[in-house]
Amino acid sequence: MLRDWPVFAEGFGMTILLSALALLLALALGVFFGVLGAAEGKKVRLCSRIYVEFIQNTPLVIQIFFLFNGLPHLGIMLPVFTVGVLGVGVYHGAYVAEAIRAGIQAVPRGQLESATSQGMSYWSAMQHVVLPQAKRIALPTLTNQAVSLIKNTSVLAMVAGGDLMYHADSWSSNNLYYGPAYVVTGLLYLSLCMPLARYARRLERKLEVSL
Amino acid sequence: MKKIISLFLGMITLSMLLLSGCGEAPKAESTDPASAPDIKAIKDRGTLKIGVKLDVPKFGFKNPTTGQVEGMEIDLSKALAKKILGDENKIDVQGVTAKTRGPLLDNGEVDLVIATFTITDERKQSYNFSDPYFTDGVGLLVKKSSGIQSLQDLNGKKIGVAQSATSKKAIQDAADKAGIKISFLEFGTYPEIKAALDSGRVDCFSVDGAILFGYLDDSTVILNDRYDPQKYGVASKKSNVALAKIVNDTINEMKQSGELDKLIQKWGLK
Repeated sequence: MLRDWPVFAEGFGMTILLSALALLLALALGVFFGVLGAAEGKKVRLCSRIYVEFIQNTPLVIQIFFLFNGLPHLGIMLPVFTVGVLGVGVYHGAYVAEAIRAGIQAVPRGQLESATSQGMSYWSAMQHVVLPQAKRIALPTLTNQAVSLIKNTSVLAMVAGGDLMYHADSWSSNNLYYGPAYVVTGLLYLSLCMPLARYARRLERKLEVSL
Repeated sequence: MKKIISLFLGMITLSMLLLSGCGEAPKAESTDPASAPDIKAIKDRGTLKIGVKLDVPKFGFKNPTTGQVEGMEIDLSKALAKKILGDENKIDVQGVTAKTRGPLLDNGEVDLVIATFTITDERKQSYNFSDPYFTDGVGLLVKKSSGIQSLQDLNGKKIGVAQSATSKKAIQDAADKAGIKISFLEFGTYPEIKAALDSGRVDCFSVDGAILFGYLDDSTVILNDRYDPQKYGVASKKSNVALAKIVNDTINEMKQSGELDKLIQKWGLK
C-alpha cells in the first residue's frame, strides 16, 4: 500500500484541484443567483428560484451521470474533468445562492433604504452597504458548503473521474485489499475537510453569528 | 441520576457475562467436516446463502419475463445445497457484482460466491477457491459503427472495464504483446460500462465473453478473439475451511459423474 503512494497522491491532487475550481464556480454562480434571489423584480427572482429548486431537488449523482453519459448522445462530449467541475460547481452553486440570499435578506431593509436615500444606486448600495453585512452572516454557511463540496467530488469515482475516490476504488479492487485503502482515503478526506470545518467554527465565534 | 448510571452499569456487566458465555468457541476442533462450525452455522440457519450474478445470461441471470434467477451457476448452487442441507431448494441467492462479491464474503452476508469469479493467485490469498468448474476468456464488445475488427484497431482507444475484474490485466498484456497503446476507464458495474460505450466515452467494453453476451444488442458486436483463459471457481471466506472442502469435493464428484458436463450442455455453454 505504501509502495503505491503515487496512485493515491495523484487522486488526492486531482481532488484538490477539482474542489478548488468547482468552489470558484459555485461561488460565482452563488453570488450571482443569490443577489438575483433577493432582488426586487418578480421575474428576476423566478430565474433564481428555478435554478435553485431544480438543482437542489435532484441528486448530484444523476446530474453528473447526465453530463457524462447523457450529453454525448446530444453530441456534446465534455472531458471528465470538466464534467466534475461543472457538475459539482453548479450543484453547490445552488446551495451557495441560498446562503447568500438568506444573508442579504437578514440585513435590515432600512439599510438599503437609507443608502438609496443618500443617492446611491441600487447596485452600489448592494455593493457597499448590504453585501458586506450579508457576507458576515453567510460566511460560516459558505465554509460548510466548501466542506460538502470536497466530499461530493467523490461521486466522480462513478464515472472514472480520476479523483481520490476513483483511485482508491481502483487500487483496492485490483489488490482485494480494500480495508486499509479506504481507511487511508477517509483520513485524506478528513485532512482536507477537518481544518475547513474548524475554521468555519472559528469564524462563527468571531463574527458572533453563534455562540 | 446516580441510580440510573448504576443501573446502566449493572446491565452492561450482566450482558457482558451473558455474551462471554455464548461467545466461547468449541474447544475441540473435530475432524468431521459436517460438525465444523462453519457448516453447523449453515445447517442451523437452514439455507445456504449464495452470491450470484444477475446479469450474465446462462450463468446467473434474472429472467425479465419470469423474474426468476436462472443459469448454470444457480444449478450449481442447488447441487451444493443438496449436498450440504439435503434439499436443493434451500438456497438464498443474492445478486453481487465484481466489486461487491469480495466484501460480502468477508462480512458473512453470503456463504459462497458463485459469480463468474476467476481464480487468480492473488485472490487465493484472500479467499478459498474450489477447482474450476468452467473456463472462459476475456472478450471485447464494440459498437458496429466503430468498424473495430480486432485488438489492433483499438490502438490509442479507451477500454471500459469493471473494477475488481481480471479483464484489465488480461487486455493490457495482450496489448503489450501486440505493441499497441490503450487506456482504461474503470467502472463499478457493467451497466455503467455499457452506458459509457453507448455514449462514446469508451470505445470498447471488455470483460469475460460470457458476461458480454448479457450486454449484446443490435448496435454492438462481440469480437471473436478471447484473451487469458479465465477459470471460474466457487469462493468462500478464508476461515471457512470445512465449507471450502465440501464445495470442492462436490465439484469434483460432479466432474467425474459427468453431471457438470450435463449442466454445461444444458445451458448451451460450449
